[in-house]
Amino acid sequence: MRLNKRKIIDRLMLGIISALAIASAIPIFAIAVNVYSEGARYISLNFLIDLPPPPVGGGGGGIGPALVGTLVLVALALAIGGSIGFFTGLYLSEFSHTRLAQYTQMFLQVMVEFPTIIVGLFAYMILVAPLKRFNALAGAIALSIVIIPYIALNVREAYKSIPYTLKEAAFSLGVSAPIAYLRILLSAARRGVLTALLIGLAKAAGETAPLLLTILGTTFTYFGGLDQPINAIPLLIYNFALSPYEKWHQVAWGAAAVLLTIILAIFIVSRLIVKEVKV
Amino acid sequence: MSWAIEVQNLNVWYGDKHIIKNVSFRVPKNVIFAIMGPSGCGKSTLLRAMNRLLDLNPHARVEGQVKINGINIYGDNVDVTWVRRQFGMVFQIPNPFPHLSIYENVALGPKLNGLVKDKSQLDELVKQALQKAYLWDEVKNDLRKPASMLSGGQQQRLCIARALALKPRIILMDEPTANLDPVASSKIEELLLELKEDYTIIIVTHNPQQAARVSDYVAFLYMGELIEIGETSTVFTRPSNILTEKYVLGRMG
Repeated sequence: MRLNKRKIIDRLMLGIISALAIASAIPIFAIAVNVYSEGARYISLNFLIDLPPPPVGGGGGGIGPALVGTLVLVALALAIGGSIGFFTGLYLSEFSHTRLAQYTQMFLQVMVEFPTIIVGLFAYMILVAPLKRFNALAGAIALSIVIIPYIALNVREAYKSIPYTLKEAAFSLGVSAPIAYLRILLSAARRGVLTALLIGLAKAAGETAPLLLTILGTTFTYFGGLDQPINAIPLLIYNFALSPYEKWHQVAWGAAAVLLTIILAIFIVSRLIVKEVKV
Repeated sequence: MSWAIEVQNLNVWYGDKHIIKNVSFRVPKNVIFAIMGPSGCGKSTLLRAMNRLLDLNPHARVEGQVKINGINIYGDNVDVTWVRRQFGMVFQIPNPFPHLSIYENVALGPKLNGLVKDKSQLDELVKQALQKAYLWDEVKNDLRKPASMLSGGQQQRLCIARALALKPRIILMDEPTANLDPVASSKIEELLLELKEDYTIIIVTHNPQQAARVSDYVAFLYMGELIEIGETSTVFTRPSNILTEKYVLGRMG
């Protein structure tokens, strides 16, 4: 009798926990279904290239300037934040006994949790206010600051995971530390490093808050130079969704579908990379 | 007599722990010199102090001198990469770079150190190294395949080829057969006897029988101290220290 009661409680609890686990995954599917059902129908080659439509009248238009802007900003952020993050991560892994590395790591862990709007505010102070103009460089710097901790901490993990005996093998060849770390051991850690860069890429492509105070978001010009305002897809979604025009709402939905596709593609690629790891 | 390597008053600490205690010895050229002793006696540390691989450990501190060709490798103005290039090193766990091909594993060192002028020279050097390591015949048709496909014994011979390709004077071996089966082990031991024609070999082993089989000279290390050193035949037949006697008779470690 008692045994039976235990069994029932056990089943019940398992059922509840399983239901909660499923529930936690519902939002991702709900969001994807929502975004694609509203936005997928607008996506076409022209949608990716064209200027946005005028608020009233005219054709369907597209997100060309915002897509170009996102590509420029992400490329710059990866170049700046990626290289700083990579070398920081390498330092954290190989000089983990130093106090500097320990403090740096602590600060980076704080930075991961940092409100990104504050990063945007900082970029505004140092790059927008002095130039008296919103500009692409400020946005790229803000995105770089946002992605540095993600890249650094993941690169650190990638290098930490290299077996010590391989490190000894590399240095026993009589090469300098840069050659050992970058020419020999980097390829042993390449999957982890690549994953780190992809995480940074996804983060840079999807962030909105650091861009609000830095790039402004041009609507009808593609790219006018790093010292000029520029647009980005998340910012376009924000601006157009808030507008009163039905046509711009449609463009925002289409842009949301494009952005989600980019993020999912990055996610799938990074999963494949991780899966490829052999024991 | 000119020596391959001279170790003078060498001390090593890990933090506060005194690992190697005032060890001195000299190794003649073209011999197999074995360092034997129970696990944890400091053998591997002593070996890594000889090519400054110990520098990788931020907690290690070294005092004393290690001389090759009269140059103290711990002296000022000595380039650590030059020091390491004088040695080839083979490790306890076969550790070829798993992501590289068999060819690349051997070619990497000479390529990065600029030992060869062109591709054909490199090909020749790789071939020679693999031949010297008794591996060429087994892999000559699979040079582009990943090193991870080789068996444990083959991987260890690949690591020996990798070490030989650097054209070192001295080969350091840290229990190179500890993780191999008896057949693969005896193949490596045969190889050692061949290699001493051209190189000086310093081998660390926790197996006194192996030291007896392969070495010309042997040092017995116990708790970081050098207990006894001499010609292998003498140390094994008439040990002068009671600890050595216990060890070689298998009553310790």
